Amino acid sequence: MTLNMKRWIVAGLSFLFLAALLVVAMQESKRHRIEEGLEPVVTKTNKGCVDCHRTDNPALVMEWEHSQHAIYGVGCVDCHEADEGDIDGWMHEGVFMSVLVTPKDCSECHVREFEEFSRSHHARAGEIIMSLDNVLAIKAASTPDNPADAINGCWQCHGTIIDFERDENGEIIRTGKENRPVIDSNTWPNSGMGRFNPDGSKGSCHACHSRHSFDVRIARSPDNCGKCHMGPDHPQIEIFNESKHGIAYRANVDRMALDKKEWILGRDYAAAPTCATCHISGHMTPQGVEVGNSHDIGERISWTLRPKVSSKLNQVTFTDGYQKDFPHTKAIPAVGDVVMTHEKVVENFKLTTKDVERTVASVKTWEERRKAMTMACRNCHNDHFIDNFYQQFDDLVNLYNDKFGQPSLDIMNELTADGVVDSGAPFSTELDWVYFELWHHEGRRARHGASMMGPDYTHWHGMYEVAHNFYNEFLPLVVEAAEEHSHAMGRKWKTKVDQLLSSPDHAWVKGLSPEEAQALAAEYKARYNQ
Amino acid sequence: MSSSNSSSRFSGMAERANELFPMDWELLRHAGAEPVPYHLKKWWFCLGGTPMVLFVVQVITGIMLTFYYVPSPDHAYASVETITHGVRFGWFIRSIHMWSSKFMIVAVFLHMLRVFFTRAYRNPRQLNWMVGVMLLGLTMTFGFTGYSLVYEQLSFWGATVGCNLASALPVIGPYVGDFLRGGPEIGAQTLTRFFMLHVAILPIVAFLLLSLHVMVIRLHGVTELQFEGEVITDDNRFFRFWPEHVTMEILVGVLLMYLLAILALIFPAGLGAQADPTTTPAHIKPEWYFYFNFRLLKLTSLKMSVALTGFLGGLLFFWPFIDGWIEKRLGNRSDRIVVLIGAVAFLAFLGLTVWEAVAAH
Repeated sequence: MTLNMKRWIVAGLSFLFLAALLVVAMQESKRHRIEEGLEPVVTKTNKGCVDCHRTDNPALVMEWEHSQHAIYGVGCVDCHEADEGDIDGWMHEGVFMSVLVTPKDCSECHVREFEEFSRSHHARAGEIIMSLDNVLAIKAASTPDNPADAINGCWQCHGTIIDFERDENGEIIRTGKENRPVIDSNTWPNSGMGRFNPDGSKGSCHACHSRHSFDVRIARSPDNCGKCHMGPDHPQIEIFNESKHGIAYRANVDRMALDKKEWILGRDYAAAPTCATCHISGHMTPQGVEVGNSHDIGERISWTLRPKVSSKLNQVTFTDGYQKDFPHTKAIPAVGDVVMTHEKVVENFKLTTKDVERTVASVKTWEERRKAMTMACRNCHNDHFIDNFYQQFDDLVNLYNDKFGQPSLDIMNELTADGVVDSGAPFSTELDWVYFELWHHEGRRARHGASMMGPDYTHWHGMYEVAHNFYNEFLPLVVEAAEEHSHAMGRKWKTKVDQLLSSPDHAWVKGLSPEEAQALAAEYKARYNQ
Repeated sequence: MSSSNSSSRFSGMAERANELFPMDWELLRHAGAEPVPYHLKKWWFCLGGTPMVLFVVQVITGIMLTFYYVPSPDHAYASVETITHGVRFGWFIRSIHMWSSKFMIVAVFLHMLRVFFTRAYRNPRQLNWMVGVMLLGLTMTFGFTGYSLVYEQLSFWGATVGCNLASALPVIGPYVGDFLRGGPEIGAQTLTRFFMLHVAILPIVAFLLLSLHVMVIRLHGVTELQFEGEVITDDNRFFRFWPEHVTMEILVGVLLMYLLAILALIFPAGLGAQADPTTTPAHIKPEWYFYFNFRLLKLTSLKMSVALTGFLGGLLFFWPFIDGWIEKRLGNRSDRIVVLIGAVAFLAFLGLTVWEAVAAH
């Protein structure tokens, strides 16, 4: 072979080498863009969806392209594909799909998260449909033909029973060339935390993990929780914002590593806690182990601050995974005991109570739940600090319970027994409304304020309002309502209220002692230099 | 001052310098006048000198980078970040270092292609081919250790794969793996060891091998190649190493520096996410010159790929002797066969490299 020919061979191979390097460079560049989240992976299955919806719903596709799902090639069909026989499914461009993506769909990949969430308080948020709050929204604030207050209000956070438009025979109405089932506009759009889905699952992952970006920063942000945990009856976001935790979060949000894949307090960030930090996210232990990280939102909660009178909660888990909280005032069943449970289930698109006998698998006492919470606290605080905080918190809850919560509940129960209050007609009298606000708004604010170190919510928006209401509205209305019922009943309740106000806890209303009055006057004189 | 005074003063200074440093200048003149064969006037025959030029660039820019680099897992990434974003011209030096390393591997490949296809490795130059193959391995090791020092996510996991490959070597594998990692897991020790390899051990070995490579070339002289149709007389058969050939090498070197500077300006060295030993990236890939091995690994198994790489490396290393055996068996026909083998082998290398590049997993 001539040297000239060899020269051409070497030249040819060198050019091929260069071409190969260019291919490698292009692929590496593409790979880097994918790794950096700059380029989504559109699989063959999802290409058709992306191509069309990029025109129809460009921002939706752009958000998906920005997501971790897109980086890993998880696309439209992977989540929206319906199972055969799903009543919400229809054939769309060759794919049997549904607009509803339920926790069951997400569980195809996120099994642990699904199991934890499904047994949690969050998954049961939809049970409000059978509660007093829903009566208020459906009856008091809406009309029989237009329950818009419940639809736009309560259900958007708590969830609803997804139902479909139906014809006179009860058949689901379908529309368009593809026979798409029409979802009842009263029930969807809805991303309530405890939504009852047609496939039997409860909840909506979208409530925290906003579609279609599924950005962890949103899920970890306190504002996300604040969509529902706010307002006069459960102002957790306002309390958080008032607290040192919230102040630190806002000042240091750039050091919160909110977009990190793993997000462990004490390892990945330290600047401040968010709602997720304390309630569900992972944290370090003094032994250097990562623990926590559960989608069971109530695992670390030792008090319930929602009811008329608070109680500590023991958590009982049954062999089928179902969970039930037992107040500390009740006996805890032992492992292996068979217990009758009353589960809220949807049957024929109506929420009903089903009695189910279940066997106890494990018990987590309120002390154990509190310990789980303190493990997160320990990343920043020492035992002495934590113990004293819980003492302050317990004292406030006990104060509310003993001075206002239990006495007002006892009064309402006895008034009901006396026939003064009609339990079948909630919110029919001014007393009902005043009492409701006493515990549901003001009482909760005080307890939540103490639980999250919000002094203003504990006192001025909390206990101050409770006391103001109790002495100036509730007790006078009790006597008034009893008097309206009958004069004898009025006298009875006037005497009972006087007796209550004479007890040591309430005796202050009769006036301070001369020494106390004198000391107070002197203090004000000194303070304002009069 | 008269000129005679001035010249006598200089000659006095030269004598004094000669006393202090008794250099035989005649020997240096002789070394510089080494006759270089005619064909080396063609620029593409200067590829043997380009890795040397790039090696010098790497040494200079590498020393500059070590002024700021901190070889500890806690600070490595941050120090690279400081070099890239904080230090004046740090990004440029780092980018030149990165591009020069890639160029060096390409230059070594091209040089070897030329030597292979012209069969310039044949008797008595077998030893120098073997030294050259060792230099190729050394250059790739330079790249591997250097990339790992960045301590970004992809480089960290690339290092993990590399150590796993090393661990699969027969008999000595576990020891080599443990030695590289500084233990059973990649950790603080690994980074320190890679750093020491990259800035101390490998440069010393490379310097010694390069010196040996050049010395052997000088001892044997460069293989003379005459293209068809060329008229080579006794007058033009050789030209001088100094200054003609050196000037050509300098010109190639300047051209290379232009290219490096342009690439560094247009495509500066980036910085991915910091290494996170707890999170495995979706796609782990080593540097492109290991794609060939990585594809073999995926096509076979860890042990098989290491065995195959070892076998092919052995073939390359001992090729001059295999070539001699082929020539004995086939005589004149051996030339075509050797070219064919070389072309197929190189195309296979390119094919596996591209395959790995385009493959999702």
